[in-house]
Amino acid sequence: MPADPNRQYEFRCPVHGFIQLNAWEKEIVNHPVFQRLRRIRQLAWTDYIYPGAMHTRFEHSLGVMHVATRLFDAIRERSGKVLENELSYRSDAWGRYRQIVRLAALLHDVGHGPFSHAGEDLMPERADGKGKHNHEDYSAAIIRSALKDLINNHELNVVNWRIQADEIAALLEGKTEAAQTIFWRDLVTGQLDADRMDYLLRDALHTGVSSGGFDLDRLVGTIVAIPGEADRGPRLGINEGGVHAAESLVLARYFMFTQVYFHRVRIAYDHHLQRAMTDMLPDGAFPAPINADGSVNEQSVTDYLQWDDWRVLGILQQGGGGDHGKRLSERNHYREVFHTVESPGAEQIAEYGDVKKALGGLAVHEAIAGKTWYKLEGKDVPVLSTSRTEVDVKPLSHYSTLVRNLEPIAQRRLYVDKEKKAEADSIRDGVLKKRGKGP
Amino acid sequence: MIDDNSKYELIETLARKCPNRMGRTALMKFMYFLQTLRNVPLGYRFSLHSYGPFDSDVLSDLGEAELLGYVNSEVKDYPGGYGYEIKDTEPPSKSEFLDEHEDDIGWVIDEFGSDKSADLELSSTIVFADREERPCSQSTEDLASLVHQVKPHFSKARIIQRIERLEEKGILGQRKGNKSN
Repeated sequence: MPADPNRQYEFRCPVHGFIQLNAWEKEIVNHPVFQRLRRIRQLAWTDYIYPGAMHTRFEHSLGVMHVATRLFDAIRERSGKVLENELSYRSDAWGRYRQIVRLAALLHDVGHGPFSHAGEDLMPERADGKGKHNHEDYSAAIIRSALKDLINNHELNVVNWRIQADEIAALLEGKTEAAQTIFWRDLVTGQLDADRMDYLLRDALHTGVSSGGFDLDRLVGTIVAIPGEADRGPRLGINEGGVHAAESLVLARYFMFTQVYFHRVRIAYDHHLQRAMTDMLPDGAFPAPINADGSVNEQSVTDYLQWDDWRVLGILQQGGGGDHGKRLSERNHYREVFHTVESPGAEQIAEYGDVKKALGGLAVHEAIAGKTWYKLEGKDVPVLSTSRTEVDVKPLSHYSTLVRNLEPIAQRRLYVDKEKKAEADSIRDGVLKKRGKGP
Repeated sequence: MIDDNSKYELIETLARKCPNRMGRTALMKFMYFLQTLRNVPLGYRFSLHSYGPFDSDVLSDLGEAELLGYVNSEVKDYPGGYGYEIKDTEPPSKSEFLDEHEDDIGWVIDEFGSDKSADLELSSTIVFADREERPCSQSTEDLASLVHQVKPHFSKARIIQRIERLEEKGILGQRKGNKSN
């Protein structure tokens, strides 16, 4: 019997209520590659600080698809004509674009390794010299291999949209193959993306850090495609009525970063996880998803997909993972001995350098906020005002004193072994005293 | 790979040398051109958006450069929109990295320093498409069609004009179907 394009299936989500899927999306969710996300925790070992943080990439991925769809529908309703004029969209192509955005959002994290970002540094160097692979590379490779047949040949797709796996992968990677839909990439990765909107709300819910919340409904109610000016294309922004909702999104990022993502103990556990997995992996790294010629290495992708939290936890339970595995098992994490203020100036960075130098080999780990996955880059979004006689676009920081004065988080943290903490404290105090600070 | 301080010094130097006000778009595209066309090892990972190649790490580095006093940044209004102006501070940065890449910095300012944001977006999108799609495999017309899909608000004629200008400067690879072939 042919798949019914109108038949909807539902998941109940603790953040968004009911999330609906069509028959094609349901089959993708049922695929072992997607089910694997049930075994990858969203925030790694964060439950050791916030016990409720046991949620997974599975529920987050469904949530991102849901939010991306709400944003897409709102933009189409509010700015459809702008996009049809400026991007030469044919009115009958909207359904296809919507489906591509839904699948890109659903599958954006399918390439995550065990414990999400904690394992990201164990991805190997790219053959093209562009640095290390990241989870997006694995997501794209998985879409082009393990999920290719299900995407390209599902009856619902063949009859309605003829979407190719390559198009979805290219949209996630930001390649020219996704040229026609590239405008929508900002809904998956950008200042107003569905990924961020979902993970902030979901992480806030599960950690109990309620200040991580923001007004999603108002953002959906005010998001627009701002017409391009001075030879530039349209871009995502909000109507003036959404200023406080956008402000709350910026503040939610700030609060979640300082209280959760860059929490001193969480950072220590991420380090232990990474080092323990280095010990577990052949050659200390995950297999590369792409060959030197740019094609997918299907065997490597298959091998990579065998790695999830359960496998790592099993090895830890068997006593694997070396010294860092033991630390994880015994809750014996490195201790922070010094940190800068959240937004250090040159003087504080120099002070940090002095402490680090004095500690020498005692300092076993260093964390820099700007180098982490949840870093706070940029904060402005364009705001469209139509309350006057002509269209006016200004940045969010024009309307919000809070956003205007929010400085980037560039905090640094230094860690030592628990047994060396007293010695390290003494050295740190000596350095601070010389600089006219401390006890 | 470049260290953080060298990146901040590079941002300051670009702001100092840029003949027009340097906004965020200009900074992003200068970094893209330096890394892609001059092989300056900046460590960024650019991917395509509708406004051209982008890596949020550039904005992250700009934020830290501001925090540490290398540059100042302020919003400037203009009819129908706004932009940022990134200003250098005294004293001018000096470092081994800047000395080593003095020619590269001079080159990017000479070639692109006077371009408007829209032109920088178009040029960088052309370079991105050219590099990614392997220059030998497509004609100028093919490349223009591809770029037109990303930036349909530019006419094909204007895109071809820009491609030819970049070819004349030796920035793009030789393709089949070029006038010179």
